[in-house]
Amino acid sequence: MNKTLLGYVPTQSPIYMIHPFVKLFFMLIVSLFPMFVAAPEWNMLLMLILILFMWISRVDMRTLKIYVPVAVSMGSIIIISYVIIGGTHPEFQLIAHFLGINVYWERVRDAIVVYFRILPMIFTMVFFLSTSRERDVIVAMRTIRLPFVVTYVFAMALRSAGMVLEDFQIVRQAEQARGFDTAGKSPVYKLRKYVNYMIPLFALSLRRSEEFTNALVARGYAFTGEVSKVKRADYVLTHYSFKYYDAIFTALISLTFIALLILRYGYQYFSVDESVLINWLRNFFL
Amino acid sequence: MSVIIELKDYSWKYLNTQQPALDKINLQIEEGMFIGIIGPNGSGKTTLAYSMNGLIPGQYNGIKNGEVVVYGREVEQYGHGQLQKIAGMVFSDPEAQFTAMTVEDELVFGLENLGMSIPEIRERLEWVTELTGLEKMLLKPPYELSGGQKQRVALAAVLAMTPKILILDEPTTMLDPVSRRRVFDVLAKLKNEQHNTIIVIEHNLENLIPLADRMILLSNNKLILEDETHQFFQNMELLTKVGIYPPGALRFFYELKKAGYTSNTLPVTLPEASKQLKQLFG
Amino acid sequence: MTNINPYIQVNKLDFTYPDGTKALDDINVLIQIGEFIALIGQNGSGKTTLSKCLNGLYKPTSGEVLVESLNSKNTPIVQMVRRVGYVFQNPDHQLFNNNCWDEIAYGPRNIQLSEEEVKIRVDEAAHVVGLPEIFYEEHPFFLSKGLRQRVAIASILALRPQVIIVDEPTTGQDSRQSIEIMEFLKDLNEKHGHTIIIITHDMYIVAQYARRVILMSEGRILADGLTSDVFSQPDVLQKTFLEPPQITQLAQSAQNLGFNPGTLTVDEMVNQFDALKIK
Repeated sequence: MNKTLLGYVPTQSPIYMIHPFVKLFFMLIVSLFPMFVAAPEWNMLLMLILILFMWISRVDMRTLKIYVPVAVSMGSIIIISYVIIGGTHPEFQLIAHFLGINVYWERVRDAIVVYFRILPMIFTMVFFLSTSRERDVIVAMRTIRLPFVVTYVFAMALRSAGMVLEDFQIVRQAEQARGFDTAGKSPVYKLRKYVNYMIPLFALSLRRSEEFTNALVARGYAFTGEVSKVKRADYVLTHYSFKYYDAIFTALISLTFIALLILRYGYQYFSVDESVLINWLRNFFL
Repeated sequence: MSVIIELKDYSWKYLNTQQPALDKINLQIEEGMFIGIIGPNGSGKTTLAYSMNGLIPGQYNGIKNGEVVVYGREVEQYGHGQLQKIAGMVFSDPEAQFTAMTVEDELVFGLENLGMSIPEIRERLEWVTELTGLEKMLLKPPYELSGGQKQRVALAAVLAMTPKILILDEPTTMLDPVSRRRVFDVLAKLKNEQHNTIIVIEHNLENLIPLADRMILLSNNKLILEDETHQFFQNMELLTKVGIYPPGALRFFYELKKAGYTSNTLPVTLPEASKQLKQLFG
Repeated sequence: MTNINPYIQVNKLDFTYPDGTKALDDINVLIQIGEFIALIGQNGSGKTTLSKCLNGLYKPTSGEVLVESLNSKNTPIVQMVRRVGYVFQNPDHQLFNNNCWDEIAYGPRNIQLSEEEVKIRVDEAAHVVGLPEIFYEEHPFFLSKGLRQRVAIASILALRPQVIIVDEPTTGQDSRQSIEIMEFLKDLNEKHGHTIIIITHDMYIVAQYARRVILMSEGRILADGLTSDVFSQPDVLQKTFLEPPQITQLAQSAQNLGFNPGTLTVDEMVNQFDALKIK
């Protein structure tokens, strides 16, 4: 198994044939789809397609289990916030009355629509993160010819985030080893104690940054701030070639997006009123 | 053998400190030598190492006196990145030295900085991964590597730039014994096959002594002893006085010598000690 | 080791990390009050994991850790750390207060002692590690590495744990500093009655200071016994790519001349030489 940003992919998987740029492009464009699609059944279809893609890429589905509680709690929060604190309107239709709360059809409908818009966006992110490694993101950025400085700063940010996370774990344990116990304490107390973590993390980064900088200089990296006069070869990019099917995928993603926009704004597809599911639910409740 | 590094009355004082970090150092290092630098913490070892590859005065503020000449030129005369091409440097913290997101990116980073072409980079990369035994790790991110593996990557990243001089500042301090041995195995290979000039700062003398041709002792920011390794360790009194505790076998024979059991040259490695001990029993 | 009731009892301890890595496999150890133990083995052999199980930072996956008959599984961490203290390897990970006084007082305050008692504990701990009062107001960040290490140890001592575990106390220190730290731990052990456990890669330190060695490899205990006994089994050590200190190796190479393969120090070696020569 290869570890990705989120979860694992086996060492053999069709996903490795795809150029990192296509993956990044897919994530950026497809996560926009639900913004233009209100009808939940279409968003559900998108989720199914994403799950199918994950299955084809042989993503370890067990690591996805952790998203079930996330999805459930997010759903509850959306329902509660829409139904209870959503407010009312004279034209709203009451469907139930419960514990002194009036439940209106329009609020329930909106909650469902929003929930099924957010889910596929998250699925797109999860699909990307569970099939990409840090390096893929960097390669994708370099493919579109972002300046070296930008991609390098991004890579260093990833690297330092990794170091800080590791340190954070140890600092937390060190606090516990001195009898610090958050169990049963108020959130405000916990938040205040978080400030304590910052001190050692800051101290560690200060001490490390000297050696980090020296290491960069020792590898011939000049901190001049100006554009280097040396023309850099990008060796790692040579492992990735943009094949004909990568071009086809990119074109497909773009075309689908354009088609979606035309159907949405030219022909009013994917709207709430057009939704078969919503209409069925309306008949069910009212 | 020709002298490639020469320090003449060299002193360095960091800004905001009272005492100089190095005080009137005179030193000559010949091509192809394996040099060990030892001394208590704070005696100026790291400053000396940084002075020989241009990190000082390049990256630090301070006052310099005297000269540091590498391959016939003063260190200040080298352009950006030029001296680093000649004198590579490995540091002690494996974590802080790993700057990229995969081993391969880390190894090619320096080569790209030097402006090499892709075929050249490929060739160097193959050579250095084989030399340091990193073939199977090229695609690994830092969090999947142990400290020892990271340190070998740091060594490889510097070696890839084929520096003539290699300077290592406590390269094994943070490693466990196996990783420590691996690093020294690579150094032995470099010494025997590549004939680099290698300068190592190290507390762990048992690994260093068998490889070192010459040793340097720093104490209180001064160079107080510099000699061929065997000769160097005959000065046990001085070494103990400044707080160096040589390996057990050496100290044992020093005790025997003081007690008058032997007048031989003190053995510096385990095989030598073992042989001499047997001879003492006829 | 005549004490009948061990202070720490580890029975059939298994520990698996959340990501599925099995770090400890069937560990059984008894630790008595007053011992000086070295925990050795390569990185990843389970030394640190075991230590963190001993002070309750990690709860056993199966099996049990009993400290003073308290089961770590259902004892709050506050109770555990008063008995077993753990000093992390890098002082920078464990100094999170704005001055040394607060740093040392942090633990006692967490276990809710009165301010008078906290003050007593801080003074006592600072005194034991030799931290002068003028440093009380200093920010730990600006102290030298050696002093930071002392503050870290003092901050644990202030909890007055019976057992103190120190993770790699001598890493990055030169010979003189290493000896200073070890002599200090030795004092804690001999004069103040603390049980000391060190995790270290330095076999010279082990030979010189530890009376008992626990050798770990791949989450298991490969050897557990008197230091000289463990070091006189080169084959066991070799399995874990460790070597006994050079003086021990020299004695072993001259075993046929009558030297003891369990020789630990230069002094012992010299005494044997004298005796053998007289014969």
